[in-house]
Amino acid sequence: MLSCHGLTKRFGGRVTVDDVGFSVGAGEIYGLLGPNGAGKTTTMKMVCGLLAPDAGSITIAGRPAIGDVAVRALVGYVPQDVALYPDLTARENLEFLGRLYRLDRRTLAERVAEALELTDLTDRKDDRTDSYSGGMKRRLNIAAGLVNHPKLLVLDEPTVGVDPQSRHAILERVRSFARDGLAVVYTTHYMEEADRVCDRVGIIDRGRLVAEGTRRELVAQLGAHDSIALGASGDLDRLAAVCLSVRGVSEAAAADHAVQLVTEDGRGVLPSVLEAADRAGFAVTTVDVTEPDLEAVFLHLTGTALRE
Amino acid sequence: MISALAIARASTRRVVRDRTAVFFLVVLPIVLMVIVGAVARGMTGFRVGVLDEDSSSPSAALVTALRTTPGLAVTSYASLDSLREAVARSDLDVGVVIPHGLGAAEHAARPADVELLAEQANSSQQAAAARVASVVGRVGGLVQSAQFATRFSGSLDGNLALATRLEPTTASVGVENEEVTADARTLPSGYEYSAPTELVLFVFLTALTGGATLVETRRLGVLERMSAAPVRSRTIVLGESLTYVAITLVQSVLLVAVGALAFGVSWGDRTGAAALVVVWCLVASGACMVAGTLFRTPEQAGAIGPVVGIVLAMLGGCMWPLSIVSPTMRAIGHVAPQAWAVDAWTTLLAGHGNVAAIAGDLAVLASYALVLFAVASARLRRSLLPSRA
Repeated sequence: MLSCHGLTKRFGGRVTVDDVGFSVGAGEIYGLLGPNGAGKTTTMKMVCGLLAPDAGSITIAGRPAIGDVAVRALVGYVPQDVALYPDLTARENLEFLGRLYRLDRRTLAERVAEALELTDLTDRKDDRTDSYSGGMKRRLNIAAGLVNHPKLLVLDEPTVGVDPQSRHAILERVRSFARDGLAVVYTTHYMEEADRVCDRVGIIDRGRLVAEGTRRELVAQLGAHDSIALGASGDLDRLAAVCLSVRGVSEAAAADHAVQLVTEDGRGVLPSVLEAADRAGFAVTTVDVTEPDLEAVFLHLTGTALRE
Repeated sequence: MISALAIARASTRRVVRDRTAVFFLVVLPIVLMVIVGAVARGMTGFRVGVLDEDSSSPSAALVTALRTTPGLAVTSYASLDSLREAVARSDLDVGVVIPHGLGAAEHAARPADVELLAEQANSSQQAAAARVASVVGRVGGLVQSAQFATRFSGSLDGNLALATRLEPTTASVGVENEEVTADARTLPSGYEYSAPTELVLFVFLTALTGGATLVETRRLGVLERMSAAPVRSRTIVLGESLTYVAITLVQSVLLVAVGALAFGVSWGDRTGAAALVVVWCLVASGACMVAGTLFRTPEQAGAIGPVVGIVLAMLGGCMWPLSIVSPTMRAIGHVAPQAWAVDAWTTLLAGHGNVAAIAGDLAVLASYALVLFAVASARLRRSLLPSRA
């Protein structure tokens, strides 16, 4: 549905997006994960026709998108900030945006009702949007991106500043859009959101796409292992030696009132480790199992942690 | 065009819902029209006090003539002291004393004098005295006519009454004053001064402050969202412009209607007035669009816009006629489009001109509108939608 190749954008002498390329199929959620200022929003604006790339190409539904105004009818854009008139009602906002897509009166009414229903706002459709909670505004912001029945939905950090309950609702909606066949590009700097929602993830940092794939593929790229931290008192060097004798534990070292273990399968080896420690007379007070995630992948690839 | 109308519809709906905007659009212009009109009208009505010491039919004829003269507000006084005091306190612009024996003198065909009292510091006393003197002269003419007729038949009182009755139907020799310098051309006074100048002032002011709405649309990200739809930049510019053309037109029609119906303002040649209103709305809307691209925040537009509008209105002759300022200031004033609009209204209302007579002013105003829209369009397309694909 969406195919980008070699996208590059410069502002002044600074390269904001550097040779970025990715593709998204129908029914797929593609996450663009990166810290603030990484180039996610600039990339999305190029996809939506709001910025002209200095180099590269964009194809949407097989049609070259750059410079073609009509292709924008296939795209639903949900900007990072809530971009709606606060003094209009939800229905009026959606009708206004729907008219920009030249929908006839009947179709417009149907699409508005549908978008409100999808985002659970039907009951409040005639209330001014400045009376909405933050979560409701975010949902309406998404509804506005759906009113034209897009083939490609571009969501630019749709959950920023949203409470956990609303965030959960939004993520569930996004998954349902994909199940209905919509291609979704989802930018976020929340690692757990990308982990939870996206089928594939592209990691972007300083304007460059540094890695791409499913979560499993990215973690495999990292070649990382699970780690277990055991909190205990007594001779921790001896405890480390005991743990190292357990099958599956490849490294063990004592440090700061705990023993750090490295293993291929943290959850699988944990019962054996605890049993060995107990047999050796150690009282384990805390256990912390860490599995490699996108955060670890990001850290490995960029040398920096994802920032809120 | 459908998209442009959708944009105009949404923006207009927002303005109509804004109570502050409605106050500035409708209420304030009408209130100011009433106040300025009332003040200007008051300046043309002289306060005259009359002491009739004679109580004869000729003196009564003079009092009646004074009372029925437009622009004179006549009050009767019972004593000379009270009349003098009122004049001294500037409660009156002029006092008229009709002396005892006036009727007898006229019956005897002897000269008689009417005394005028005035306070030197009163700026209106000369004009008021001139107006009263003209009435006294007119009544004196009637008395002379009656005296002449009495030589042949009837009484002086009867002939004076007859002369008074016949005066409106008798051919008279009038004196017409015509100002031959263009500088002296000014709008009529009263509401006919306040209504057109308020229209010029407020339509522009409304539009300038309306730039805040465009700034807000920009800041809210709605402009960007519009741009993500299959809508060209020029359509967005057209839609936003249509909003303010429509709003200023509605405001103008309202002010014209209130001026005509409530205050009896004549707006002159209909075609000329309509053309002037439309072109002025285009100028104001162009200014609104420029303001919308210049200001960074709605608060800036709300604070700076009115100041700019009022300064231009002062320069352009909306607060006082440009005929009373120096030629240099008059030339500087014509940098403001308001001056050309007021000139056109003056031609329509004071000069009884038509659309052809104001064609030059309209052309200048149309040029202002064209330049303003061109600047706004360029700024919107370049700075608000940067590097648009």
